[in-house]
Amino acid sequence: MRVARMAQTVVLWGVGVLFLLPLYWLFVSSLKSDSEITRFPPTFWPETLVRSNFPEIWKQLHFHVSFLNSLTITVPTVILTVLFSSMAGFAFSKKRFLGRNTLFYLLIATMTVPPTVLLLPLYFIIMKFGMFDKLIGLILPFSATVFAIFFTKQYIDDVPNELLEAAKVDGSGDFRTFFTIIIPLIRPALTALIIIDAVQNWNSFTMPLVLLQSESNYTIPLKLALITQDTVSTPWSKILAANLLSMLPVLALFLSMQRHFVEGLMAGSVKG
Amino acid sequence: MRFLQRRFGELSGYVFILPSFVILGLFLVYPVIWSAVASFKDIRPIALRQSGLFEVPGDLIGLRHYVDALNNPLFQKAVVNTLYFSVIFIPVTMFGSVLLAMLVNRKLPAVHFFRSVFFIPYVISVVSASLIFMFLFNGDRGLVNAVLGLFGASGPNWLASTDWAMPVIAIMSCWKNIGYYMLIYLSGLQNIPKDLYEVANVEGANAFQTFRYITWPLLGRISLVVSILLMINALNVFQEVYIMTGGGPSDSTVTLPFLIYNRAFRYYEFGSAAAISYLLFVVVVAITAIQNLYVKRRLG
Repeated sequence: MRVARMAQTVVLWGVGVLFLLPLYWLFVSSLKSDSEITRFPPTFWPETLVRSNFPEIWKQLHFHVSFLNSLTITVPTVILTVLFSSMAGFAFSKKRFLGRNTLFYLLIATMTVPPTVLLLPLYFIIMKFGMFDKLIGLILPFSATVFAIFFTKQYIDDVPNELLEAAKVDGSGDFRTFFTIIIPLIRPALTALIIIDAVQNWNSFTMPLVLLQSESNYTIPLKLALITQDTVSTPWSKILAANLLSMLPVLALFLSMQRHFVEGLMAGSVKG
Repeated sequence: MRFLQRRFGELSGYVFILPSFVILGLFLVYPVIWSAVASFKDIRPIALRQSGLFEVPGDLIGLRHYVDALNNPLFQKAVVNTLYFSVIFIPVTMFGSVLLAMLVNRKLPAVHFFRSVFFIPYVISVVSASLIFMFLFNGDRGLVNAVLGLFGASGPNWLASTDWAMPVIAIMSCWKNIGYYMLIYLSGLQNIPKDLYEVANVEGANAFQTFRYITWPLLGRISLVVSILLMINALNVFQEVYIMTGGGPSDSTVTLPFLIYNRAFRYYEFGSAAAISYLLFVVVVAITAIQNLYVKRRLG
């Protein structure tokens, strides 16, 4: 039994170190000098720590513009997604109206649509709305998701109907009931949803690639992808420094809210 | 008013779903329909620019785009490439995530720390992960070739090799996704009754037998869901190809989504791109339908 436990620990730590290695390598390489990064075989810890890589690449790429663009897209998209989707989740869970089940099955059916199918038509439709190469084109069309509707509906299902009846008797209107009873009761679920949706929007690459054109509108992932196209001019240490900077907000969010994030994903997937 | 209510039920229901339905209708349902119509048409880029929102310009040409796609060598190559990716990605991710789920389910030292470590790759963007792996597998100064050098072997220039570029992309996807599937399996493991293991222990079953006859069969339903999700994952590989290889060397990493993107946004062959995307769609729907049938049968 002792031996088995030892063996399991060794495997866990071994695989764990293997998983950490790419991240460790990213961190170490981003601190190397331009000459040290091209050396082979590479050094496992930088001879001189070049912290200036970070401010230099930040300036060179005008990273504050991309950061601001990413924020301008992520924050409103997440707020609208949570609002619109929990409203729909409420209606599907607690309201009886004609066509409710049909509409719900239609939603389920759309979950099989591969994202690639949407690329071309979305480009066309968003162009027709005059939102091409504008940040709003990445906010409005993505401010309600099928996943979020399912997710919130699941939690609103657990809210007892008696509570809503009582509110109605007290003369509370639908919107007041929604904002003062439903929303506070499903707050843990909404926190999880906010984190998941924020990470997804922050990391999004394909839609911005298709819908944005001018570099001044680029989001972080687009800007990062662009530097790799001309690696001749930018040394790897700087590329990786930029990469590390781009990950920081998401990593901070994940590490501080890990429990919510993980529970939310598990609740969303088991049903899958 | 009363009549409306009798006919349609609670009218406020419609008010609450309205924003979501306008958005999903315009930007999810309508695109699916648009693509279907476009796949039967010969669309010129100029005509597209001048057309209205609710029309698809061009002459109807029947199934020609579909026939052309199926006969196109690059399309066939993309299918083969996707299979190559899947053969590595699906088994490694599946068995890797079961193994890790079983490990992090025990009370081993630092287990919570490593649970987070396994999950971090899932949180970072595909762009970030791709950049890290491009550098790790760099031919002249990558860590992987340096480690191989320690053992006296010399590694290839991974991403510039027609044999190795796809496996590197697959390995990166494994690294990125194992943590997520580990969580799904973990929730499954926690639902297995503890007394089953006690009985096995009393009967003197060894670790392998316990896994073979208790753990694995009881994870059956989850494995089914996971394998479907993995197949759909494998059919959607785009960003990592765009960033790491651009489809090269000599088309060895062109996947179906990459082909669709190129058709639409580099060569402006809109109808053809729509047709290929529908072929992909049909495969995904088929896989999902088979899953549903299978789940129903197993549940009796």
